[in-house]
Amino acid sequence: MGICQALHKQGSFMYSDLNQRLKADVRLEEGLQACMNCGICTAICPAAEFYEYDPRSIAITVQSGNHEKIAALLESDTIWYCGQCMSCKTRCPRNNCPGLIINVLRKLSQETGAFIKSRMGRQQYLIVKSIGANILQFGYCVHPTSLVPATHPEQGPVWRWVYENMHEVYAAVGANLDGDGPGAMRKISPTDLKELHQIFKVSGGLKLYQTIGHFSQLKAIELGLTDENGDADMEKYTQYLLNE
Amino acid sequence: MNNKHVAVIGGGIAGMEAASVLARQGLKVTLIEKQANTGGKLNDWDHLFPDFSSPEVLVNSLATKTKDSGVNTVYNTEISRIERAGKRFELRANQDARFYADAVLVASGFNVFDATIKEEYGYGLFGNVITSVDFEKRMKKHGQLHTIQGTDPKRVAIIHCVGSRDAKVGNTYCSKVCCITGIKQAIEISEMLPDCEVFCFYMDLRLYGSKFDSLYLQAQKRHKIQFIRGRLSEAAERADKSIQIKAEDTLQGRPLRMTVDMVILLVGMEPGASTSQLIQKNQMTVDENGFLKSANVHCARNQSTQEGIFMAGTAICPMAVNETIENARSATTEIIHFFENRRP
Ligand SMILES: Cc1cc2nc3c(=O)[nH]c(=O)nc-3n(C[C@H](O)[C@H](O)[C@H](O)COP(=O)(O)OP(=O)(O)OC[C@H]3O[C@@H](n4cnc5c(N)ncnc54)[C@H](O)[C@@H]3O)c2cc1C
Ligand code: SF4
Ligand code: SF4
Ligand code: SF4
Repeated sequence: MGICQALHKQGSFMYSDLNQRLKADVRLEEGLQACMNCGICTAICPAAEFYEYDPRSIAITVQSGNHEKIAALLESDTIWYCGQCMSCKTRCPRNNCPGLIINVLRKLSQETGAFIKSRMGRQQYLIVKSIGANILQFGYCVHPTSLVPATHPEQGPVWRWVYENMHEVYAAVGANLDGDGPGAMRKISPTDLKELHQIFKVSGGLKLYQTIGHFSQLKAIELGLTDENGDADMEKYTQYLLNE
Repeated sequence: MNNKHVAVIGGGIAGMEAASVLARQGLKVTLIEKQANTGGKLNDWDHLFPDFSSPEVLVNSLATKTKDSGVNTVYNTEISRIERAGKRFELRANQDARFYADAVLVASGFNVFDATIKEEYGYGLFGNVITSVDFEKRMKKHGQLHTIQGTDPKRVAIIHCVGSRDAKVGNTYCSKVCCITGIKQAIEISEMLPDCEVFCFYMDLRLYGSKFDSLYLQAQKRHKIQFIRGRLSEAAERADKSIQIKAEDTLQGRPLRMTVDMVILLVGMEPGASTSQLIQKNQMTVDENGFLKSANVHCARNQSTQEGIFMAGTAICPMAVNETIENARSATTEIIHFFENRRP
């Protein structure tokens, strides 16, 4: 069974009501009043300087309500280039905010599984696995113990030294790494972690994690990254994503 | 009707034209102007689109007409209040001067958008960023355009819609005359400095007038003015005082950076400064853009929402000179009807 068939079977690619689903998100109301195609957002956008990325055309596409074009956006790398700096919000002469439109498209791409169709989209799985897990486990998006030097070469050689002498270094700069009581990088109490967990549950965050995991598994199977039982091998898939 | 008295507030071209027409109809007319001269904004302009004619000649001929028709013109007097007094109106000026009239014509004009509000364009911060109004004043005074360094500019960018069609500054309407003002100024620069490259950054070219599109054609064909469809996000001054601008060329779908020697901001038209004062103490109101509201936009354009108070010219909405003058004449017709239909 092809991936698309699999997805259709679960009714996840609901192209027919994409527009409705976009409009149901309150952020679109805030993000797109009416675009006059002026290009100020693209002119100010840092992502547009580096990528084939044009927030104006995203605003226009969503405004057009064209199903095929919106579906293509959901499946594209494009929507993942935005750095969420929100500079576009400060300048748009129509008070739109393409950064918010992007938020809505991303969410829909995650919910429908369209994200697995693009390289940038597939990275969602890695983000859930790292930042998504960190926030629930530690109460921090990024925790020093999670920044393993081998998988984070961008941190540079000094980081390896910091990592290996973590407790001494953090104490020396006055932080309270994993300690009880106040201070930077303190341990987040179990009560607070429970609350955080509850927030993710009630707000739909956990469900989104599951959805991303689910579609990523389907993609792994499609790619033949399976174990002896024919189930998705997510370790192999992770390696695949890291090298993609 | 002959003993009726009309007070006209504002001695710009709208007020002058209306005052002289009314006086020639036999009405008693007082034209009240806050400045020392009549003529309004036209006193600052160097040449008029679409025919490059002289605003001075036009203002002088209107002044002669006003004088010859017997209008009583009062200078240096700013009206701050129009109040109903029985069947008449009492007008008050700041210096406690009072005028009484049977009908009032408000021709108090418009305000130029303050470009420092659009701070990302650097007006008031960078010496080589000027407005279309500065351009007219400089041309009128010096007859030439220089950068702040005193050199001839080699590249000029003209920016459309500054202070218009922009929810961020609170003005969502189009100022109507700035597109053609930009094209006129681009042609003037190109004639003065044939080696200078001129770029117009526009969103829509709104060239509604009968002669406007031919100026656009002339600008492209004869003067090689470049038109780029995209609105500026920001301007920044470089060490050598040149200006770097950022926009998107929306027809190519590409972000664009360009360095120019000068930037001219086509500032829009806003409701006149005294509008908010003049509508107090009577039933006048303003429309969604803050200009004086007509009783009916189609068939009673010059009637305000207060019976007996009329309006003319750019106090109603942005318009060019010829429209302003036509509009002023139409206001006089409404005033005459008002007196004719009113029982004594
Ligand atoms: C940059 C620029 C360039 C332009 N160039 C052209 C052009 O080339 N050709 C063209 O056709 N149009 C041009 N226009 C449009 C033109 O300026 C207007 O059409 C014209 O000025 C309108 O005249 P007005 O009498 O309505 O208003 P104004 O010119 O504003 O005159 C109003 C008068 O009322 C007076 N006044 C205001 N309030 C009071 C008060 N409370 N009491 C007493 N007096 C008061 C003011 O002092 C002023 O004298 C240009 C506009 C701009 C912004
Ligand atoms: S929020 Fe996204 S689209 Fe908006 S300016 Fe920043 S990077 Fe560009
Ligand atoms: S700045 Fe606003 S109006 Fe202009 S293209 Fe972007 S979203 Fe549309
Ligand atoms: S006339 Fe042209 S420059 Fe002026 S506000 Fe309208 S579109 Fe913009």
